Amino acid sequence: MQKKTSPINWSGFGFFLICVGFVEIFARLGWLTSYVPPPSQIFVALFQGLISGDISSQIGVTLSVYVRGLALASVLSIIIGILMGTYKPVFDALKIIVEFLRPVPSVAMIPLAILFFGLGATMRISVITYAAFWPLLINTIYGVRAIDPQALDVARNFGITGYEALWRVTLPSALASIATGFRVSATIALVVTITTELIAGNSGIGFYISQMEQANRLPPMYAAIILTGILGYLLNTLYFTLEHKIVFWTPAARERVT
Amino acid sequence: MDAGRAGTGNVAIMNKIFNRGNASGIVTVVVLLLLWQVIASIKQTVYVPPVSTIFVTFIHEWFSPTFGQQAVPSLYRMAVGYFFASVIGISIGIVIGSFKRIYQLLDPVLQFWRAIPATAIIPVGILLIGIGDQMKMVVICFGAMWPILINTADGARLVPTERLDTARIFGLTPIETLLRVIVPSAAPMIAAGMRTGLSIAFIMIVVSEMIGSTDGLGYYILQAQRTFAIPEMYGGIGLLAILGYLLNVLFVSVERRVLAWHYGQSTRPA
Repeated sequence: MQKKTSPINWSGFGFFLICVGFVEIFARLGWLTSYVPPPSQIFVALFQGLISGDISSQIGVTLSVYVRGLALASVLSIIIGILMGTYKPVFDALKIIVEFLRPVPSVAMIPLAILFFGLGATMRISVITYAAFWPLLINTIYGVRAIDPQALDVARNFGITGYEALWRVTLPSALASIATGFRVSATIALVVTITTELIAGNSGIGFYISQMEQANRLPPMYAAIILTGILGYLLNTLYFTLEHKIVFWTPAARERVT
Repeated sequence: MDAGRAGTGNVAIMNKIFNRGNASGIVTVVVLLLLWQVIASIKQTVYVPPVSTIFVTFIHEWFSPTFGQQAVPSLYRMAVGYFFASVIGISIGIVIGSFKRIYQLLDPVLQFWRAIPATAIIPVGILLIGIGDQMKMVVICFGAMWPILINTADGARLVPTERLDTARIFGLTPIETLLRVIVPSAAPMIAAGMRTGLSIAFIMIVVSEMIGSTDGLGYYILQAQRTFAIPEMYGGIGLLAILGYLLNVLFVSVERRVLAWHYGQSTRPA
């Protein structure tokens, strides 16, 4: 999607700038509510926040919590997903639990997490882990289950079994599905990071947004909101690129390259 | 979010994998619940009350007027917000997807809005509209609209050209083409987007009620935690899980009915 329109979409960016320009003019003329500051002020606030460290220090906090939660979720869900995908008894035993817990909206776990871990980073990491766990788990199970039985048979014929089969057959064929799941999980993880900070954080971009809202300092508030969007976009692009680099052998990936 | 872009194929297969009843799963759950009950009864911690206590509280709380006071407002706000998200998302999505020029023009704007986590918009909603019902509906609508809109636009954009050419050969008017070719072709993508939108709407209602509200399930759970009404908190989370599960089941059954032709067409041997 990012790469396909190889010549830059000038008309689109032009239109975007025109929209921003109109908001600027309307805001300056006072035609909008006072709750919508001119975009130039937001831009200046973003710039100043990044230079002075007000906002940039929060980025570090948010990213560190995000990465830790996502990493923990990835390890757990890939291991459990491979077990559930490979061994039928494990799958049968855990299936109902997955079905029970998956529909619980992750944000509903925030009060529970506060109860156990207080308001610090551990609480946020636990909620992020919970939220990011499910998509990756489901995709891992799906990927492992969708393996061509012939591939496993061939491996067995060559005497490749057990751990080696996992490493050389199961994982490579499941990796495309796992990568997709990871991208979904990563998107959710960022949203949940910001959300927990917003509701019950004591630091991070989400916390900064709610602080600025309460202090009625609107340009920095909007600047931080836009920054979350930029972060999300950059991270998604990063994963997309990595995915193409790492998982290059599936038919879908080859199709996308050509 | 890209979740909806996966299309409906995975979902159908996953449903097939997950929809087999089994005994060992039930045994696992019963054993875990019993363990919870025994350990919680022995250790007597405040944070983890025994399952029986939670269950009794659950029945007592939610089979009472509390359901009308806390759960009904949440569901109502969500229904209104989601309805408008679907209407706006699908209609704008179809227009954007049908005309390549408009798609190109709007793409960066859409990508920009979509990239912003929906929950980060809630403070803006509170500023602009206040903390009433309206704010929640608008915020839910805003959050759930993007996946629906983008999926619809993709679905409409990626209608196979043969179908459009055929429509042209048969002399269909643009409106006929829209209703009989574009909308049906895009329907599976729209459904996938609406499914993502539904789960986002569910998250948005809980978060918006946690941040600024005087009733609703999100408010109830957070308040229960703050007042150390621990069994009530677990019960509230349980109710949210049940509602989330039921909404999903409802959505899938409606989707299967409406898109029966699609599933009939694309059952590939997995």
